[in-house]
Amino acid sequence: MSETLVASAKDTPQEADLAFDRLYRSSRDDLYAYVASLMRDPTAAEEVTAAAFERAYRKRNRFDPRRGEPRAWLFGIARNAALDELRRRGRQAELTAEPADLEALDAAEGAEQSERRLAVSAALAHLTAAERELIALKFFAGLANAEIAQVLGIGESNTGTKLHRAMTKLREACDGAA
Amino acid sequence: MEPRRDDQLAADLRALRPTPRPEFAAELDERAAAGFPRRRRLLPKSPPDLFAAMRNKGPAHPWRLLPAAGLAVLVLGIAVSAGLMTRDDSSPRGGVLSSTGPLQPAEQVAPAPAPEGAAEAIPNSSVGSEAPFDDFSGETQDRAVERSAEIVLGANPEDVADDAAKVFAAVHAHRGIVLRSSTEEGAPGEAGASFELLIPSDKLGDALAAFSAIDEVRSRHEATADITAPTVTTEELLQESKARIDSLLSQLGEATTESEREAVEAELRQERQDRSRLRTDLQNLERRADFSRVSLRIETGASEDSSVGGPWGIDDALHDAGQVLTVAAAVALIVLAILGPIALIALLAWLTHRAWVRRERRRVLS
Repeated sequence: MSETLVASAKDTPQEADLAFDRLYRSSRDDLYAYVASLMRDPTAAEEVTAAAFERAYRKRNRFDPRRGEPRAWLFGIARNAALDELRRRGRQAELTAEPADLEALDAAEGAEQSERRLAVSAALAHLTAAERELIALKFFAGLANAEIAQVLGIGESNTGTKLHRAMTKLREACDGAA
Repeated sequence: MEPRRDDQLAADLRALRPTPRPEFAAELDERAAAGFPRRRRLLPKSPPDLFAAMRNKGPAHPWRLLPAAGLAVLVLGIAVSAGLMTRDDSSPRGGVLSSTGPLQPAEQVAPAPAPEGAAEAIPNSSVGSEAPFDDFSGETQDRAVERSAEIVLGANPEDVADDAAKVFAAVHAHRGIVLRSSTEEGAPGEAGASFELLIPSDKLGDALAAFSAIDEVRSRHEATADITAPTVTTEELLQESKARIDSLLSQLGEATTESEREAVEAELRQERQDRSRLRTDLQNLERRADFSRVSLRIETGASEDSSVGGPWGIDDALHDAGQVLTVAAAVALIVLAILGPIALIALLAWLTHRAWVRRERRRVLS
């Protein structure tokens, strides 16, 4: 991801605004998808997504490109906001697909595909919360491994390994269910 | 169903991706266009959250209060240092104090009529307890402190005689003693007067104020010396001597032979001489504590000290600058001494809070 998405601290305020606008437009739906999978409550997900953008906007001049990708920075903010919200609510993070999404799939897709995705959705429940978060960051938010590593504060190779294990576990869970 | 391929699984996962409501997306776009103005929280607060809100009723950004807190600490530091300086000026315990620059005449003390013979008789009061110093704290009332002062007044030659008379009046008014005095008449620089005075220590402050009111004060210097230790030692030696004399007297009563009696009598004489000497020493010490020695001079003509009374010059500027820098350094040191521990505590609290938040976030995902 280009570093021009968010201006660094040395850029002028106008440049910072433009760069943040670009980051917002490229990340809005991805960020919501990731937060929604963490929160499992659409209203809460909307609230946290908006709050994350707000926080990021206020901190946009403090972003340092040397410390990572702008999307990773934004998702890090959203992750902290979501976990804080979950902590306040005393709930555990759960990462499953929305039932409403599956219903939508039923109408739009074929029966076999719909059944397969239902199985994937059910198999996600077999993963740990950390594994489900990895899946969400990778496939719901569309982050690269390097960006996921920055969001989670772990190494890139470690991220790849964990992601591979999660996918293997998910595939086994899907196949087992079939 | 055949085993899944990775790309198929990835496609299925992407298809499960939650999507935002169009209304929310539109609202967020509007807010983004408006620069994300602050808004009220939309989510209903659960009971624990309400408590959290009550706990966090402070400002959203407490760091914004840091300049105000720093200013408050700075003001506190200045106040403390000013207080320390004021205390140093007003309580001359165990130190030597000197005035700086020409002093203005102090508040006029109306000389009270002195009782007859008061100036000649030296009351033999006990040290400290019966004659507390008027501006000493209670802590020093049990201590024997010898005080002395030196004051120089500037006067016109024709005023020297009048000023000298006022000095005598002030001494008598404060039940003091003029040990020595001399007055010279003549041209400016030659005319003048000098006095060696003993002033009751508990009236020294008033007496100095009265002297300062007589004419222009060119310099004033006060000094104190704690003489508690020699006083207490002398008192103890005196008591021991008395006990020895009592013992010798009883030995004398029990002596049976002439030679034995003579030996005890000789020892008794020696002990009585020692006791007499100790008593004199103690009286001297008590007098030193009860009476303060004051040296007063009335000068005419220009001041001897160029820094006093003369035009303000480079030396004065350097001196003042040095003083300002010294005070500034002292204030900075005090502020640092106050801010340092506070900053350390704040840092530790912040680190602890940060570690706790991280642990809690990890726990949410565990």
